[in-house]
Amino acid sequence: MFYVKWFFIIGFWSIVAGFFHYTLPQVDIVRVVNTYEERQELTDWTRIFWSTPDSQSTNINNRDVQFIQTVRANGRPMVYRNEDTGWHWPPYFKFDTANLYTEANDAISTKENPRWFAIKHYGWRNEFFSSFPNAVSLWQVEGPEASKSIPWVNIVILTLFFGLVWGIWSRWRRFRISRIDPTLEDLQDNWEAAEDAVQDQGGRFMRWVKGLWRGRR
Amino acid sequence: MLGALRLMAIGFAVLTVVYICLSLYSRAVRRAKLEAEWDRDQGPGERDGFVHQGLEEYDGSLRRKLILGVYVVPLCLVALIIYLTNFA
Repeated sequence: MFYVKWFFIIGFWSIVAGFFHYTLPQVDIVRVVNTYEERQELTDWTRIFWSTPDSQSTNINNRDVQFIQTVRANGRPMVYRNEDTGWHWPPYFKFDTANLYTEANDAISTKENPRWFAIKHYGWRNEFFSSFPNAVSLWQVEGPEASKSIPWVNIVILTLFFGLVWGIWSRWRRFRISRIDPTLEDLQDNWEAAEDAVQDQGGRFMRWVKGLWRGRR
Repeated sequence: MLGALRLMAIGFAVLTVVYICLSLYSRAVRRAKLEAEWDRDQGPGERDGFVHQGLEEYDGSLRRKLILGVYVVPLCLVALIIYLTNFA
């Protein structure tokens, strides 16, 4: 029971953590190498990793997606997709995909003469699912060691979220202590009393039977 | 633009639920305060009349209109995010 309980608790909080890690914005320091467009199939379950731009018809099963190829400050490659989120989830309300594509093309630099950019994005890069983080904005920084600035938005959202969880949790705890626990204890007391009574009854019954037996003899 | 309409419809529905809950809660809190005030001072007038009058004052108050912020704040937030994402 102990392990089952913790399995569910850890599972639940892993999903919550994964949700926020996917949805909240993060910043990488990158050097833009190139941009490209590629036709993507949207028919299988990895559809959830692509956006739903407003300009897209609802029954389309493939379309062109823009990508931004970069090398991060640590020398490893990272490819971002560049899609409108429109009015859909997550609520970035990004409509300027074409502008960002232009900026990204303008930001291309070579290894010998690098220009470093901070790129704000959400989402996960996963090679097996072919999922790409979605780039939201781009701005130039002085170098690969540049600070990413304090993530105020994430701090505010997570603080509000955990405040809400704490509020619900403490109210539920108070409710449980004042209402549910006494009821359960009452139930248990009643049950034990009933058990005692049954045992008592049984004892009396057996005595009566024995008495009968003795009486008859 | 259909997405915008959908978001507005869902947002309006959710925020209306929040608005109704919040206004009922706020009114209940005000009623409890008025009752406690009358119980402490034992006046003026009848208890029911005092509470009723206090609630009528509350209905016209700025505090009650502030609950409309339930609609206004998310709207401003969305406008701010749209500006920051696309135009800043």
